[in-house]
Amino acid sequence: MKRRWRDAPTALMMLAPSLALLGLFVFYPLVRAIWLGQQACDNTGNACHSVGWSQYIDVYRSNEFQNALGNTFTFAAITVPLGIILGVGLAIVADKHLRGIGVFRTIFSSTIASSVAVASLIWFVLLNPQLGALANVFDGIFPVLKRPGLLNDGGTALPAVALSSVWAGLGFTFVIVTAALQSIPRDLYESAFVDGAGSWRRFTNVTLPMLSPTLLFIGVVITARAFQAYGEVDLLTQGGPNAAGRPTETIAYFIYGKTSRISNQLGLQSASAVLLFIILLVLSFIQFRVLERRVHYAN
Amino acid sequence: MTPTTSPVRKRHHVHAATLIAGALLIAACGGSDKSVLDNNKPSTTATSASTASTAPTTDASTAPSGSDAASTTAPAASTTAATPLDSLPDCPIDALASATSPVEITVWHSLNADLLSSTLAKLTDQYNASQTKVKVKYVNQGAYEESIKKYFETTQKQRPDVVQFPEYIVQNAVDQKTAIPMAKCMQAAKLDSSMFLKSALSTYTTGGVQWSMPFNVSTPVLFYNKKAFAAAGLDPNKPPVTMADLREYSQKLVDSKAATFGIALESGFDSGGGWFLEQWFAKLGIPYVDHDNGRSARATKSLMNNPQIVEALTQMQSLINDKLAVYVGDNSSTGFDNLLSMVDQSQPAGMAIATSASLGSVLQILQAGNQFPNFKVDDVGVAPMPGPGKPGSIVGGASLWITDSADPKRIAASWDYINYLVQAQQQSEWGSVTGYVPVRSDANTLDPMKTKLSDPRFSVAATSLGELPATPDFSGPIVGPLREIRLVVAEGMAKIMSGGDVAAIIADMESKANNLIADYNSRNPG
Amino acid sequence: MPTSQISTLERTSGWAKFGRYSLLTLIAVIVLLPVYAVVMQAFKTGAGAMDHPRSLLPVDLTTETIRVAWTKGDMGTLMRNSLVMSVLVTIGVLATSLLSAYAFAFLEFPFKRTLFALFLATMLVPAEVTILINKRTIDSFGWKNSMTGLTVPLMATALGTFLIRQVFLQVPSELREAAALDGLGHGRFLYEVAAPLSRPTLGALGLLSFLTTWNQYLWPQTIIDDTEHRTLQIGLSRLSNADINRLNLVTAGTVIAAIPIVILLIVFQRQLVRGLTAGAVKG
Repeated sequence: MKRRWRDAPTALMMLAPSLALLGLFVFYPLVRAIWLGQQACDNTGNACHSVGWSQYIDVYRSNEFQNALGNTFTFAAITVPLGIILGVGLAIVADKHLRGIGVFRTIFSSTIASSVAVASLIWFVLLNPQLGALANVFDGIFPVLKRPGLLNDGGTALPAVALSSVWAGLGFTFVIVTAALQSIPRDLYESAFVDGAGSWRRFTNVTLPMLSPTLLFIGVVITARAFQAYGEVDLLTQGGPNAAGRPTETIAYFIYGKTSRISNQLGLQSASAVLLFIILLVLSFIQFRVLERRVHYAN
Repeated sequence: MTPTTSPVRKRHHVHAATLIAGALLIAACGGSDKSVLDNNKPSTTATSASTASTAPTTDASTAPSGSDAASTTAPAASTTAATPLDSLPDCPIDALASATSPVEITVWHSLNADLLSSTLAKLTDQYNASQTKVKVKYVNQGAYEESIKKYFETTQKQRPDVVQFPEYIVQNAVDQKTAIPMAKCMQAAKLDSSMFLKSALSTYTTGGVQWSMPFNVSTPVLFYNKKAFAAAGLDPNKPPVTMADLREYSQKLVDSKAATFGIALESGFDSGGGWFLEQWFAKLGIPYVDHDNGRSARATKSLMNNPQIVEALTQMQSLINDKLAVYVGDNSSTGFDNLLSMVDQSQPAGMAIATSASLGSVLQILQAGNQFPNFKVDDVGVAPMPGPGKPGSIVGGASLWITDSADPKRIAASWDYINYLVQAQQQSEWGSVTGYVPVRSDANTLDPMKTKLSDPRFSVAATSLGELPATPDFSGPIVGPLREIRLVVAEGMAKIMSGGDVAAIIADMESKANNLIADYNSRNPG
Repeated sequence: MPTSQISTLERTSGWAKFGRYSLLTLIAVIVLLPVYAVVMQAFKTGAGAMDHPRSLLPVDLTTETIRVAWTKGDMGTLMRNSLVMSVLVTIGVLATSLLSAYAFAFLEFPFKRTLFALFLATMLVPAEVTILINKRTIDSFGWKNSMTGLTVPLMATALGTFLIRQVFLQVPSELREAAALDGLGHGRFLYEVAAPLSRPTLGALGLLSFLTTWNQYLWPQTIIDDTEHRTLQIGLSRLSNADINRLNLVTAGTVIAAIPIVILLIVFQRQLVRGLTAGAVKG
């Protein structure tokens, strides 16, 4: 008993900075946002009055939120599988002892150097219908590139934004999968080879299972990123095109974007943010519990 | 990593997750045709507003200054009827005299085009150099929406001294009680506003008080291809005025193959989709919202669903249906998609309606010569915007607001700067470079504007702005959620231009606008 | 790796080698094409950048655009702000994480388990929830438009504590006992023994923090209104508001912005891999 309390003062001192920071900048905001979610405030975020907890249901069922939710899920549905497949593909292609393989590995991981802003602006310039290189070189094959432009066409806008995100994430997934590949014991491959397994069989029976924890991790990270996609939208489309029902407005942009319908309504923004939190919780829960059963762990 | 839960408990976890996911999905299905801004609560305007004003402000941010005390006891019903100037914050323009060191003020603007921002920069640098009492620091805050968001979400202390706000934010700015009414400064300085554009001043006047100073004044004008007109047998100096003209001219342009389309239409919220519709209401003399277009008291409902408007929009839709006009989208890619349609190589349009503010940039780009070789500067014709009702149009653009910073020196400095910008000489320079209309007519008698006006294209906007009567019904709406209403209208216009049922869409737009107004009024005590 | 040590499985024969190199090159070209196109445009004049497809050829190059982007975009200030912000947050995260990880790993106190769970729980709260309220909190402290307001809330993360605690738990108890016998207090033990032992993890965490902070977009956009404190990512987005004719200024800006990180990542490659995989391989 006394032993447990002996370190308490020291512990308190050492924990104080983190506790203060986390309390003030994570816990307090969460509690406050939950409270604000049932309030309606004026356009400066003051003079709030309660309108009941049903506001959460109203926000959830509103067509703007559903639109944002759908867009975000679509965005994730594009970026997660593509990100994993491309990352694994690249890592496998580069997983050979060849001369100069280091150069290729560096090139494949290079997109790690791009921030959301850099990556989005690169694609903004490339896809610009008047001036972008892509639009002007390939518009013979794909007229939508110039009229009205990938980012301005209701059907292609969200995939185009997702594309920039997938490209930006290539380096990250490549580095992680490469590291994981290199930790797979070579003798597993050897014994599979001896058993007569061809390269595809070796991939499915050895590589994939051994990679599965890594793939789960990457999946979780890319999903979280997809659900927090803001910068890409802010730089590329600002949630538009409006005439097509705002197909690129993700939930994060719905809450914080300057062109969002609720850009000056603190109560609605809070409710939306808390709903996003709940959705992310459920998603993480599902990903870990449901998928983890299929993940193979050595020994 | 061995699982720590037994298989049975794990099954329960999976079931729980599936149940939650299922519940979410079920809750989602059904009822998702309501806007998040629909005010579903029973109208409790009176009670909810008064509890709002007496409830403790639940945030640590400081309350706005000045007349807050007055508003907490005011009845919550929307009455900003002729607020006596006395109850509003003062404009102490003499405070500058007692300043011993230069007063620094911050100005936020949203002029993104290089031509516009560099001209403002030049004028501001001139001002800074011409005197030592005030030092102006200007910051480009990006789009108007970004500026608005940052301005209102922050505390009074962090707000800039002067901010450039678009015309759709007037009621909102007044309601948030952040500004010094410009009328007080003009009164204290005994500014002679007789030469100012009446319509420009009245655009920013509500409840009998002028709140801000018009700075960049624009109005929609018709850009047309003079070469194409001549090729179609039309007189390049007689542009279309009425809806019937528009159809006739478009028909001739298309039949003679001088252009593929008569006119290019777009549905941007700040142009063809939202703003231009308000122009048509003004031309027809129909109020957009009640209470004298929101100018005698806070508006409470939308009056959008009007048979004359339905008629006019049906005519416009038929132009598109008959392929006499082309719909180019919501203008979000470049901001002037319809103008670009006029210089399109394969399927050009002969006309487009765009803001007069783009005149300067358009001519500058054409002058440079290398981007659109088929189109020369002289081929561009400019005319007043055609449409239903009377000839003429209303003011768009933005104005300058003085923030009530509770520091008399800074308020006085802000006034001094704004006063400088609206002097005849500065307005002359401003208008001649940018294509904005000088806010005062005596600027037109001074160079460089005087020389510029020898090109008659630069006087079209000013003439157009002087034609409509200066009464509320012909002056455009002032209402709190005008930005959101325009977004809704732009969506509706996009549907109309894509071939939807005009009457049903307008009725829907009106009911959405009513919801927006009710929601705004219940949250923002005036 | 000498050929004799490469297994039969991994040795590639002549044709397969050629095929593999071709595939690698093709992929490399696709991955790099966007970067190449943008870099090309950054080194051309406005007119040259719009003249497709000639704009993609390495001809008519100039450094003028880069120079204009640097001055017009005030990129020196932007870089400095981002650098200072990233360094401060990294130091803050490392310091606070070291302290709390030490407490959780080496000290005995009541409610340790609960507190640690709470720490971990904070990692589930997304930024969208916290930024909304934090901006009002920071504003009420008067910390808007300041480096303090920019950095302090970003130091609130439990990831560092989690990672360092993992490493600290590996410290053999004999070392602790020996240190206690030598009369080393907690402070000196942390400074002289525990921290040095966890240097690789600290390096990885530091790099990760630096990168994450450098790339922050929403938070700086939210609380910085003036030009003196703008960070690089926000400044870049400002450049993109420029005229449609000068779009290549944006490309020049992104080239300038990307260079420091490219250099950083080349120098700290190993820490990077370690930092990124910190959660990946069998957490």
